[in-house]
Amino acid sequence: MKRANLAGWLLCVFVTGLVEVCVRVFDLRDSVPAPSATFRALVKGLASGALTGAVGTTLESYVEGLALAIAAGVVVGVVIGSSRTLVDCTSILIEFLRPIPVVAMIPLAILFFGLGIPMRRSLIAYAAVWPILVNTLYGVRGSDRMLDDVARTSGVTRVGRLVRVALPAALPSIAAGVRVAASIALLVGVTTEFVTGTGGIGSYMEEQESAFHLPQLYAAVVLVGVLGYAINVGLRVAQQRVVFWVGDERLAAR
Amino acid sequence: MSGRRLPGVLVLAAALGIWEALARARPSFLVPPASAVFERAGQVWPTREFLATVAASLERLAAGYTIGAAAGIAVGILMGASPAARRSLEPLAEFLRALPPIAIVPVAVVVLGLGNGMRIAVIAFGVCFPVLVNAWEGVRTVSPEARDTAAMLHVRGRELLYRFFLPAALPSIVAGLRVALSIGLVMLVISEFVGSPDGLGHYIRFQQSQFNVPELYGGILFLGLLGYVLNTLFLVAERRLLAWQDGAAGEPVR
Amino acid sequence: MSRSADGLVLRVSRLVKRFADDGPPALCDVSFDVSKGELLAVVGPSGCGKTTLLRVLAGLSTPTEGAVFLGERTFSRPPREVALVFQDYGRSLFPWLSVIGNVMFPLRRLPRSERIGRAEAVLEQMGLRHVAGRHPWELSGGMQQRVAIARALVSRPEILLLDEPFASVDALTRAELQDVLLQLHGEPEHRRVTIVHVTHDIDEAVYLADRVLVLSPAPGRLVGAVEVGLARPRSQTITRSSAQFLAVRNEIHALIAAQPAIRSDGSRAG
Repeated sequence: MKRANLAGWLLCVFVTGLVEVCVRVFDLRDSVPAPSATFRALVKGLASGALTGAVGTTLESYVEGLALAIAAGVVVGVVIGSSRTLVDCTSILIEFLRPIPVVAMIPLAILFFGLGIPMRRSLIAYAAVWPILVNTLYGVRGSDRMLDDVARTSGVTRVGRLVRVALPAALPSIAAGVRVAASIALLVGVTTEFVTGTGGIGSYMEEQESAFHLPQLYAAVVLVGVLGYAINVGLRVAQQRVVFWVGDERLAAR
Repeated sequence: MSGRRLPGVLVLAAALGIWEALARARPSFLVPPASAVFERAGQVWPTREFLATVAASLERLAAGYTIGAAAGIAVGILMGASPAARRSLEPLAEFLRALPPIAIVPVAVVVLGLGNGMRIAVIAFGVCFPVLVNAWEGVRTVSPEARDTAAMLHVRGRELLYRFFLPAALPSIVAGLRVALSIGLVMLVISEFVGSPDGLGHYIRFQQSQFNVPELYGGILFLGLLGYVLNTLFLVAERRLLAWQDGAAGEPVR
Repeated sequence: MSRSADGLVLRVSRLVKRFADDGPPALCDVSFDVSKGELLAVVGPSGCGKTTLLRVLAGLSTPTEGAVFLGERTFSRPPREVALVFQDYGRSLFPWLSVIGNVMFPLRRLPRSERIGRAEAVLEQMGLRHVAGRHPWELSGGMQQRVAIARALVSRPEILLLDEPFASVDALTRAELQDVLLQLHGEPEHRRVTIVHVTHDIDEAVYLADRVLVLSPAPGRLVGAVEVGLARPRSQTITRSSAQFLAVRNEIHALIAAQPAIRSDGSRAG
């Protein structure tokens, strides 16, 4: 059981206090609001539902997009990964599509889907699918030959082997991919909202920035950070539950 | 080598062919034929304005990447080498790491305005954390025998950081630098969406606003190509730099 | 007991080393002297604290009770006069430096020409001249351990400590390296460096040493100090088949066998 990191939290408190003092003394309120003001804005925003509503909107398309990406990524990854030929055929295609920064596709998505939830959802799904697909692929290809042989001699069909041997064996890799995808998806989602003003916490931040409501802006930033952190921790716990047989070292993402 | 890659290249060519055929068969404003995209790209890319815009982007990327990498390496090594530093900085670092980098953009705008400084800061922020985490991990996993050796060879203080921990953690750091490169590219594009007079992000947004669809596709393609080239160059440099590595590369940590 | 004219170089006085405040000690009431130029071997079963003892001598670990004197003084950090060769050369040699880079490392405060000169001399002595530009991981285990020894010697230490240095190499290489060590010890250039050599191999200890210290199983106590008294220079074939060699070796085996065995729960039998 880890002891509470007193030194670390003390530093945070100290830094916050220092910022508070500096902001008041040097009147930096044009750039950095006093932490006390930010805190008040955070509480008010949460209580009034403005912030919670924004986060809710964000999470809606986030979860939908991520779910789509997981479904598509795992299925396609398993299919491709099961055959050496398919891997060879598709690897160059994947290699070329993967490095394209998805945020660069925001303008394209706007033209395709207009401004709204479908646009956000498709961008999130597109961005999230790559790490999941690639990790599933590697997971399936890398899985123990011996496990597959055992299944084959036990008379399990090809599809059965895919689903009942290769897939579970690839789970650690897939889990790592999902974690990476989750943070990418959040980034793309919030960025899209910020850039296109289509609701959610990203748009909220943009509005507050334009209106120069700094405490509200910084409150939103803090909230987004907490959201990102919570998602990360939640997934790590889930991963340890689902993929309980693997130690931490094997869970590195590609 | 070519035997394995041939199917991939063929599939890529086939995909392009299908795109072309479909676009011609059902002409759609939003999906220009591949040939139109390439033709337009051939016209636009060599022009002075486009090259100047690319140069501006690359300059920002270089500056932001260098600053972010230096900061990440320095702080990461410090956190790995000094338990006190790690304990104090850990909560702050964990929070900032989980924060989707987009959230730093409005803060940067408010504090630094809409100029190059903001863009470079945003890129540096995105680059810093993968590098920091990997540098930290690299130092943390240095073997006790190696540490004992350093003690026996009287390596102390600052020398311990740059003559021992830095080279020992280098494989891990380099893996982090590679991940940070793609993040840097993403942050570049995002930062150029917001009030930038030039740069690839601005170029894409502009083409979208003018409904110049082939140019828009071209811009996105260019970014993908840029990402691919940068990554390849990085791998070449990595192989040179880590020539002393006997094959056990560090895994990127997220 | 043979003492060279220059006298003592290391004195260990009633050393106790405990890792946990309430736990049993790893080393208990160990006292011995090391004479200048002596080659002292330390043997004992696994877990007897040989490595712990060596770490205390090296300055990597401090005594819980008792003291270690280097000349007249005690120390709390690795002293400049002491060099240590680790068992695991793979983790001890710096992979980012070449062989000569590793060997030059202890001399980094000196001017470049002197560094190179001294390093090349030691490499020559260890038969590593031809691989100076390579990296440690390109070499075989035996060669790597030679590099480690070279690096330890280049700073001209008064005391050379070795922690089971030949345990990770094959038997033939081990014999080779043993003879290298003997040669170094006899080298007039190094003014007879004092060596403390920890090993689990009793034959090796007798072959190499002037004197062999025997430690008991945990908590490690000194249960014997056996004079070897074999003539130098020694040879793998002649010395090892001599009657004297067998006698000393059997004496040490008897000392160890006389120790109460350790039960699986860590308590002593008998």
